[in-house]
Amino acid sequence: MLISMMVWVGTMIFSFLLGTFLCYKIEKSGVKRWGATGRLFKYK
Amino acid sequence: MIWYLIVFIFYILFLIWANIQSLKKAESIDDYTTGGHRMGLLMGIGTTAATWVSVASVIGVPGYLYSSGVSAVIGWVAGWCFGGALIPIVAYKIRRPEKPARTFPEFIRHRFEPFQNKSTLQAIVGILMFIGYLLLVNIQVTGFGIVFSSITGIDYKIAIFGFLLFILITSVGGFWSVAATDTLNTILITVGVLLASGVVWSLTGGIGNILETLATTTAPTNVGGPPLEEGVLLSPLGTFGLGALFSIFISNSLGTPSSPHWVTRMLAPQNVKVAILQVMGTILVLIFIMGPLIIIGLGAKVLVPSIPVGKTTDYIIPLVIQEYTPPIIGGITLVAICAAAISTANSMLLHCATSLYYDVYLNISSKRISEKKFKNWLRLSIFGIATVAVLLAINPPWFLAMGFVYVYGGFGAAFFLVVFLGLYWKRMNRAGAYAGIIIGSVVYVAAKAMGYEMPFVIAVAASLLGVLLAVYFTKRAPLEAYEPYFEAEISDSTHQVLEKMRSTSPEEVQVRDKHSDIG
Repeated sequence: MLISMMVWVGTMIFSFLLGTFLCYKIEKSGVKRWGATGRLFKYK
Repeated sequence: MIWYLIVFIFYILFLIWANIQSLKKAESIDDYTTGGHRMGLLMGIGTTAATWVSVASVIGVPGYLYSSGVSAVIGWVAGWCFGGALIPIVAYKIRRPEKPARTFPEFIRHRFEPFQNKSTLQAIVGILMFIGYLLLVNIQVTGFGIVFSSITGIDYKIAIFGFLLFILITSVGGFWSVAATDTLNTILITVGVLLASGVVWSLTGGIGNILETLATTTAPTNVGGPPLEEGVLLSPLGTFGLGALFSIFISNSLGTPSSPHWVTRMLAPQNVKVAILQVMGTILVLIFIMGPLIIIGLGAKVLVPSIPVGKTTDYIIPLVIQEYTPPIIGGITLVAICAAAISTANSMLLHCATSLYYDVYLNISSKRISEKKFKNWLRLSIFGIATVAVLLAINPPWFLAMGFVYVYGGFGAAFFLVVFLGLYWKRMNRAGAYAGIIIGSVVYVAAKAMGYEMPFVIAVAASLLGVLLAVYFTKRAPLEAYEPYFEAEISDSTHQVLEKMRSTSPEEVQVRDKHSDIG
């Protein structure tokens, strides 16, 4: 049970880390059309 | 019974209202197919979550939790979640163009055949999508039929025709209609499964008692069947072998980000960041849906040690809800399950009909039509395909959750390399796309038919070999094919090629003709 739940939680953590990294890349690009606003999770 | 019907009637009234509202919004072909590429974050999370949570999740996965134990968490819940985690990698590139493609096959055309007047690749992808989504809609119809017949007492074979009524209501407004009803469906599904899991938790005495039962039970899945091995339901591999569980996990996870409906969903948000945040938000929302479903699926083994003869594990949720939950909670939960079927099916029907009509018929015939005519034909196609899916569901061929694995595996085998290499490798070209799609899909079907345990892995390996050979033995992709996905600002020639490819109406054709010398 523990192993199964850990696999699920692990995939969720991976998802949030990857999403955050991609948002950071958008901010770094500075392209407004892609959603760069100056703040990591702000999108408009 | 009366409570079930009251909740159902309120649900139908909302669907009708939402569709009338959506009809006002869906004005252009862009609106109808991808919501005009202006979807906001909250509605995006609502529609993504509702499309994600299908009958495979709310009926099929608890069924496998019941029969195979916690291994279903790895195979399906974690598999889909990992696949979801990979979707932003697609979104990060595919939503970059100022005017993105309207459909998945059109994206394939933009990326690999930008100069062709009639794109064979777009048509092949459209046909493959049509087959895959017809099967996926068939799964939703089956799930709907199981629940609708449980609520009303109507025979399953008649109950499935009720599905057509809902499709008629939810599909007239196109993407905006699907998105609006999906958002309500997400709320309904979340509330329904939370309430039902609360009841199961209370009746079983909590997770301690559930785990204790799973550790010791040998009760067969079906009455009179072979007894289970003690403790197998708590083993990470469950009743599957390592190879089988890995195959389920990998098909679900790598099939998800390359499934056309998820790629198309990433074309709808207003910008790249919204697309990424939309997936992250959905994964957060899914905790409140998948968590309760795990409790219901595992707790069902305590409440119903064995399913009656003649019923599959897909019936475990309706059985538990009808036998053990108060009528009002049962009503909400069962309507929520129907909502899951409808919300996934209407989205898939939209993709299915669009691929057939827009990507195959209009592409091959090079016909140009008005936007009004386009929408009317699409509505007719949706209803026609739904009718075929209902007829195919009279004798359901598979278990719901496993049917999803097969189709996702097929999509992954055909499209995974084409999507990811197309978006991240400039060298990836037209020949590579043909090789990847044809080898991937043919090898997957052949490996599945020959009974190999990991058809997905075999197909992707063969496809990769074919892609590399094709790419390195043919010319590089032209700038106009990859530039929109790699650069913020595109050249004039790329801009003109994109405009030409997107033209569908007579007005747009005039613009297209002005640039007829391009390509």
